[in-house]
Amino acid sequence: MTQDPLHTKLCDQLGVEFPIVSFTHCKDVAVAVINSGGFAVLGEAMHTPEEIEADIKWIRERIDGKPFGIDLVLPASAPAESSLDEISSKIPESHREFEQMIMEKYDVPMPKESVDLHQWGGLSQALGRAQLEVLLEERVPVIASGLGSPAFLLDAAHERGSLVWGLVGRTRQAKRQLEAGVDAIIAQGFDAAGHTGDMGTLSIVAEVSAIAGDTPIIAAGGITTGRHLAAALCLGASGVWTGTLWLACRESDIDMIIKERLVAATAADTVWSDSISGFTMRVLKCPWTEEWKKPEAPRPLTSPYQMILSSDYIQGANDARRADLMTEASGQGVGFVTEMLPARQIVSDMVEEALGVFDDLVGLPD
Amino acid sequence: MDPERAGRRAECDGGGLIMGSHYAARQDFTGTLTGEYYDEGDPPWRWYKMIELTRKPNDYPFESVWCEAESLFLIENE
Repeated sequence: MTQDPLHTKLCDQLGVEFPIVSFTHCKDVAVAVINSGGFAVLGEAMHTPEEIEADIKWIRERIDGKPFGIDLVLPASAPAESSLDEISSKIPESHREFEQMIMEKYDVPMPKESVDLHQWGGLSQALGRAQLEVLLEERVPVIASGLGSPAFLLDAAHERGSLVWGLVGRTRQAKRQLEAGVDAIIAQGFDAAGHTGDMGTLSIVAEVSAIAGDTPIIAAGGITTGRHLAAALCLGASGVWTGTLWLACRESDIDMIIKERLVAATAADTVWSDSISGFTMRVLKCPWTEEWKKPEAPRPLTSPYQMILSSDYIQGANDARRADLMTEASGQGVGFVTEMLPARQIVSDMVEEALGVFDDLVGLPD
Repeated sequence: MDPERAGRRAECDGGGLIMGSHYAARQDFTGTLTGEYYDEGDPPWRWYKMIELTRKPNDYPFESVWCEAESLFLIENE
């Protein structure tokens, strides 16, 4: 072997030391990873344009000119607008009763305040658009789209010096985005936290890498160790996109109860369930997910009805900080998250382990 | 109107943010494009209207959906 196996074209594209991308909703985590030689993308989909602008400023003040990314959820479809009351009225009584049964059986407290369910429908395009305007105005180094195709904004972004990444769960989505000229594709597999497609990480990374040409592919889904990193590079990826890995790190701002659950969890403690949002998503098991799996449970509804049903449980559990009730999105790699380490050490450990794998396999350059 | 797309069958790898969460999720649709479209903002973000939905999420309450242009895949052999 004649070159550093961890120095990939993604490193060249970004000017970073290691091909490790942290996807996080926590600014402190993002800054820590960036200042440790990795790259971070901050999830801002639920933030207002003003909040996004403030967060960009906050990050820039702490990373000494290094690059960073912002992730938005660009919608790919939009139904007609409908009021929350109208939607709520369509939830069958049988499902309401099942929700109530769970709330009473587990003594789930009601939320302290009514859950703020943002309006469903056509507003999503307008919000996405307003968020994008901030990213373009601020010339954010990397604009990542966590769902819909970012093809329409490529020219505007490139004119401002911004790179555009797209996250895909199917090969045909990757092909379409590659043809449009995105700067990197995040190929996310079934192992990931949250909502995923049904292709496994091994399969989608290999398939998308095979058609990517010179465009960097970033592997996502269940990646939490240096062995995962090495494997992803062997599949043809140029880096890894990691989320669960950072949830329990020292800088992370999520509830300590969830951190403790993550550190104790293995892949078997996660479940791919449609009981929370109406779409299959990977989360830590909790009474809510387990009750909806039982034979006597009604079939979960689609979005947004199921989210309306689950919102009181989720928020009530969080408000009361009930460890026996709470849940969090978690990927299958959670079994390797065993300590609440500083982000810098996580980066370092991942790099060392990956290099060790390559050294064992083919030897490393002197 | 886009007459070339009017009446064409298509699949949409749709989806978006889920109400009340910071999660995003896919929603798949198959249907017929009316040819109607609109452009949101500048640079234009194009959306096409799809009706006669033969595939949609369970309990999806509407008869039509707007699909982002780059998330549409025309069905060639129908």
